[in-house]
Amino acid sequence: MTAKTADGKEVYNTERHYHTQATDCRTNKMLYGAQVKTQYIRDTALQPFETKDESFEIFLPAGVRTVDVTVSLRYEINKPANFIEIAKVTRKVSLD
Amino acid sequence: MKFLKPFFVVLLVMIPISAFAEKAKTIEELAAMYDSSRCKECHAEIYARWENSHHARSLMGVQDGLMMTPLAMKGRTPFSPDDPGKATLDTFPCFKCHLPQALVSADDAFAVDYANALLAQDKTRVSKLRITCIVCHNTKAIIHKLSEGQPEADVLYGSKDVASHDDEFFKKIKKGSIMDHAIMCGQCHGLGPNLEFENPVQCATLYGSYEHNYISKGGMQSCQECHMQKVDGFADHLIAPNWNDLDGTKKILQDTISMDVQTVGMDWLLKSKDLKPLVVVNTKINQNAGHRIPDG
Ligand code: HEC
Ligand code: HEC
Ligand code: HEC
Ligand code: HEC
Ligand code: HEC
Repeated sequence: MTAKTADGKEVYNTERHYHTQATDCRTNKMLYGAQVKTQYIRDTALQPFETKDESFEIFLPAGVRTVDVTVSLRYEINKPANFIEIAKVTRKVSLD
Repeated sequence: MKFLKPFFVVLLVMIPISAFAEKAKTIEELAAMYDSSRCKECHAEIYARWENSHHARSLMGVQDGLMMTPLAMKGRTPFSPDDPGKATLDTFPCFKCHLPQALVSADDAFAVDYANALLAQDKTRVSKLRITCIVCHNTKAIIHKLSEGQPEADVLYGSKDVASHDDEFFKKIKKGSIMDHAIMCGQCHGLGPNLEFENPVQCATLYGSYEHNYISKGGMQSCQECHMQKVDGFADHLIAPNWNDLDGTKKILQDTISMDVQTVGMDWLLKSKDLKPLVVVNTKINQNAGHRIPDG
């Protein structure tokens, strides 16, 4: 998700990743590939009957009172550049 | 004529049995044993949907990447042989789920042929190996082998008994005990690490997620109820999502996953006389599948 000022300057940019994370249990490096994955050490995937709740606090730089917020929910296939956009929400949020 | 007729009958019975008794040594031999193209004549709708499914390209990988190639390359994985000529069925633990018929009907010579095809990146040959109709309706149709025996060579297992089935080899259909149960799919869709191999292998774990995180929360539907709803009167054998159809998959994902976004702008009085300009964005994401998304 991003927040940009009226002239397009990015004042905030963050991501949340929802997926399982596995190692081979021989080091703490996360690995892909069925031939080496051994155990999940963390699972942030979307679960049935559960809500993923996030709250992002964006402190604006001096002089900025209005931003365009964009939240994009994507399913990445193998690599970040290859994705399906499931939802995209844009809002102008003003403090005045 | 009198002595020709019995001869003829014997011949007809002999073909399927001998076809299953000899182990396949090449990609083409294994593909021929499980070839389901003749099913198309009478089950055209089902066949057409299956043909576009991931089951029909189970060794091709995401967008045709031939994902097992590293296993055939020296030093690339713990399973890799020093040269492709030394490959065995154990080189490819993946066959357990991506090509289970290899474990029943092929021998190590097949693994060598397959390893060479991977190194040559021969997509045409590799694409002949598929989870065909026969794999689900015969090879993987029985899990209670002590109670029900091995799948019979001339029988397919479906959702009902059919005393006389018109196929040339599979003369009979028996009602399978698990065809409408999640475990039918669970055999390949993974519980967690597969610890029976010399090194652990972990790929799909979706069936574990279904059992322990969907059923446990009160979910009651089977995989088939969500994934194989009838299309034009027949159980949907596309078994979507189909990742080669990005538009179709986008629609499924949009029906499955929802996101609510709330925003507010304020001057936050964090401490006396210190107003901080703040924007808060709250997101809530829900999904209604029967397991985690994404898997693995
Ligand atoms: C010559 C036509 C023909 C061919 C070839 C054929 N089938 Fe069938 N099959 C039928 C018919 C007709 C029925 C339905 C019988 C009934 O409903 O009484 C049937 C029924 C079935 C059923 C049971 C349906 C149920 O409700 O569970 C399965 C499974 C099946 N066929 C699979 C296959 C497979 C796999 C192949 C290829 C190896 C194949 N069939 C080849 C005609 C054919
Ligand atoms: C326990 C069964 C099982 C084993 C063993 C297994 N896989 Fe899989 N694999 C699956 C299933 C089922 C899927 C598809 C469903 C999913 O991704 O949740 C899959 C998907 C994949 C995919 C993604 C393909 C796509 O088109 O989505 C790759 C790549 C893959 N497997 C590689 C391997 C490799 C390499 C091995 C062997 C080292 C292996 N798998 C072993 C069951 C298995
Ligand atoms: C013989 C093993 C086997 C059985 C049985 C099986 N699957 Fe699969 N399934 C696979 C493999 C392997 C893949 C991945 C193929 C690939 O590499 O693209 C797959 C892919 C899929 C996919 C595509 C999604 C993806 O990410 O690749 C879905 C959905 C799916 N299976 C659902 C089911 C359902 C539902 C059943 C039961 C009716 C079932 N499968 C039975 C092995 C199996
Ligand atoms: C309550 C309905 C429901 C049930 C039950 C269900 N699924 Fe799904 N499944 C879905 C939906 C909807 C999607 C699409 C979301 C997606 O692509 O991730 C999906 C996605 C998948 C995928 C792709 C996962 C990925 O990584 O994106 C596979 C594989 C799959 N299901 C297999 C199964 C199997 C096997 C079972 C039974 C053990 C099953 N499903 C049970 C609804 C269900
Ligand atoms: C991944 C496993 C899988 C594969 C591959 C598969 N089937 Fe099925 N098939 C099933 C399951 C499971 C059912 C039962 C569905 C249910 O109970 O809702 C079924 C049901 C059927 C039925 C009866 C249902 C109906 O609506 O008429 C027929 C006929 C059939 N399959 C034929 C085929 C043919 C022909 C092929 C190959 C083109 C094929 N199947 C490939 C798993 C599979």
